[in-house]
Amino acid sequence: MALVAFDDVSKFFGEVVALKDFSLEIGDREFVVLLGPSGCGKSTALRIVAGLELPTKGNILIKDQIVNDVEPKRRDVAMVFQNYALYPHMTVYNNIAFGLRMRGMNRHEIDRLVKEAGQNLGLGELLRRKPGELSGGQRQRVALGRAIVRRPVVYLMDEPLSNLDAKLRVQTRAELVKMHRLLQTTFIYVTHDQVEAMTMGDRIAILEQGVLQQVGPPQEVYDRPGNIFVAGFIGSPAMNMFPARLQTRNGDLFADSEVGSFRLDTQQAHAATDASDGEVMVGVRPEHLYVSGEGSGAVSATIGAMVDLVEYLGNEAHVTFSRGDAALVARLDARVKLKPAEIVPLTVLVENLHLFDQASGRRLA
Amino acid sequence: MESSEAGTVALPPPVPLRRRYPWLGELSHFGGGMLFLALPLFLFGVFVFYPLVKSVYLGFFVSDPFGHGQHFVHFDQYRQVLTSPDFRKSLLVTFLFALYTVPTGMVLGLVFALLANQRLRGSLFFRTVFSSTIAASVAVAAVMWLMLLNPSAGIVNWVLGQFDLPRVNWLTDPQWRESWDSGPALMAVSLTTIWLNIGFTTLVLLAALQNIPQELYESARVDGASPWSLLRNITLPMLSPALLFVVIVASINAFQSFGQIHILTRGGPLDATNVIVYSIYTDAFINFEYGAAEVRAVALFVLVLAFTLVQFRFLAGKVFYR
Repeated sequence: MALVAFDDVSKFFGEVVALKDFSLEIGDREFVVLLGPSGCGKSTALRIVAGLELPTKGNILIKDQIVNDVEPKRRDVAMVFQNYALYPHMTVYNNIAFGLRMRGMNRHEIDRLVKEAGQNLGLGELLRRKPGELSGGQRQRVALGRAIVRRPVVYLMDEPLSNLDAKLRVQTRAELVKMHRLLQTTFIYVTHDQVEAMTMGDRIAILEQGVLQQVGPPQEVYDRPGNIFVAGFIGSPAMNMFPARLQTRNGDLFADSEVGSFRLDTQQAHAATDASDGEVMVGVRPEHLYVSGEGSGAVSATIGAMVDLVEYLGNEAHVTFSRGDAALVARLDARVKLKPAEIVPLTVLVENLHLFDQASGRRLA
Repeated sequence: MESSEAGTVALPPPVPLRRRYPWLGELSHFGGGMLFLALPLFLFGVFVFYPLVKSVYLGFFVSDPFGHGQHFVHFDQYRQVLTSPDFRKSLLVTFLFALYTVPTGMVLGLVFALLANQRLRGSLFFRTVFSSTIAASVAVAAVMWLMLLNPSAGIVNWVLGQFDLPRVNWLTDPQWRESWDSGPALMAVSLTTIWLNIGFTTLVLLAALQNIPQELYESARVDGASPWSLLRNITLPMLSPALLFVVIVASINAFQSFGQIHILTRGGPLDATNVIVYSIYTDAFINFEYGAAEVRAVALFVLVLAFTLVQFRFLAGKVFYR
C-alpha cells in the first residue's frame, strides 16, 4: 500500500514550472530520496506533501486519502527544514515540546517524551538553552528531536545535513539511517548530494527541471541510468560520454565516436536500432576504463589516450586522459603509475557500455 | 648632536619617551579618543547637559517676568509647585493621556502592520497608506482634526448623528460626566496623537514583521499551530524588541506632546488637557513664572526617566533579542 502518493502533480509559480506531471508512490516504512540539482523541484514536492504548497494540478494522497485541501497540521507529517527553523525565542525543551503542546497533549506526557528524545539525541544537558547558544550540529539534533517526538506517519526532510561540516555530515547520515530503522516510519528525504542519496535511500527519485527522470534502488540507478541526465548526474567522477554514430562493418555494429569505435554485441545492436537516426551517446563509467590487461571480457574498444592529469587519492587515482578534443576520466588503482603526456591504451568492455538515444536522451542499452 | 662628533663616544640612542613613561601612551590614547568625542560632547554639553543642570538650579529661584532679580527660595518653590492641585491635575492628565494613546496606538499599529504584511494584491498601497501619517506634521494633523471634530460642521459629529447618537462638543467639553476626570477634550487630543503616531508604529512593526523568517511559520504550521497560536507563539515573541522600542518611544512622545494640544485646546477646557509639558509652557510664557516652569520641567524629566527605566526593568526580560 502506498503511504504517500503523488498523482500527476504539477506546480507552477507564475510562468515557472517547479514540478511537472509528477507521479510517485512511496510505500509504508520506505526511505525515499528525492535527488536533483538545485531548482529541480524536489523541495517543492516535499512542501506539497507537508501542505505548505498547494499543487496546481493533480492530487497528493496520504494513506489513500486525497489531502490537497487538508491543512499541514492535520496531515500528521513532521518536517525538518534545511536551516532547521528552530524557534529562536524558545528553549530547546520548548522547541521540542511545541508540536506536542499544539496537539493538546497533557503536560506529563510531553515532559516524558521531550526528556526521552533529549536523552536519545544527547541533548539532555542542553534542554534549557536557546538555539542561539548551540552549535550547528546540536541545532540539527534539536530539529530532529522536534520531528521525532511527534511520531508522525511520515518524516519530511529538506536537506537536513547541508549545513553541517563534512565529518558531522557523514556521522549524522549513518545516524539517520539507524533512526529510520528504529522508528519504522516512512522518510521522504530531499537532497542534492548523490552520496547521501546513494547511502541512505531505499529508492532514489531523480528530478530535473520539475520532471521525474528515474526512480529505483540506488544500485539500479547507478548501474542502469535511465537517461543521459541521470547517467551524468549520478556517479563521481561523472560518466564519460561520447556522441557516436552507428555503423555496420563486417556484420558487426559499431558506435563511431571521436575517441574511437565501440563494438556492440547483438543485444545492444538490437536495442540500438531503436535510436531515432543512428545518433547515440556512448557512456562509460570512470571505473570501467582499464589500462591494458586489467579487465576481462569481450572488448568493445581500445582507446589510445594521452595522460593529462593524475590525482592520487590514496586508495585510488583519478586520471584525466585526452584524445583529440575529448577528455576521458578513469578511476584507477593508485599503484598504477602514469606520467603526464604518456600515451596509454584504455580498454572498454562490451558489458560496461551504456547506450543512449542522443535525441531523446533515453537509455537504449 | 654634539655627542656624535668624531672622537667622542657615541651615546646609546635615546629611549623613546613612551617606553620610559608607559602612562604617556595611555594618556595620548585617551586624548585621541577625547578628540574624536569633542564635538558631540561640546554639543551635548551646550544644548543638553548645561540646560538640564541650569533647570534644576533655577528651580531654587523666583524671578521677575524678565527672568531677572532672582530670589533664592531653597526648596520652597519645588515644594509649592509639586504639591499644588494644578500640578496634581496635570500629572493625572499626563498619565491618562499616555494611557489613552500608548496602548491604543500600539494595538492599532500592530493590527495595521499585520494587515499590511499580508501578501495580497494592493498590500503595497495599504503599507503606504498605513504609514503615511509619519509624513504629517503635528500642526497639519492638529488642524485637520480641528476640522473633523468641529461640533457643527465636523464629520465626526455627522457620523454620530447618522447613528442617532448625541453630538459631542469634542474640544470644549472637559468631562463626559460630572465628577469624571476625563472628557471629550482629552479624548480628542488623544485621538489626534494616536493618528499622528500610528504611521511610525506601523512602519517599525512592519519592518520587524518582515524580518521574521518565513520557515518559522511553516515549521509551526506543520507542528500544528493555529493562526492564533502562530501570532502568540511566533509573531509576538519575535516582534518583542520592536514592540518594546515602540512602547518606549510612544510613551516618551506622550509625555512630551505639545503641538496638538496647543492647537486643539490650549490645555483647556478647565485644564482637562493641561499635560505637564503644556503647563510648563503656560507657566513660562503666559504667566512668566520661570522658576515654577523649571520645577515642572525637572519633574517631567524625572518622570520620563523613571517611567522608561521601569519599562525596561519589567519588559526587557520578556523581550527576546536574536
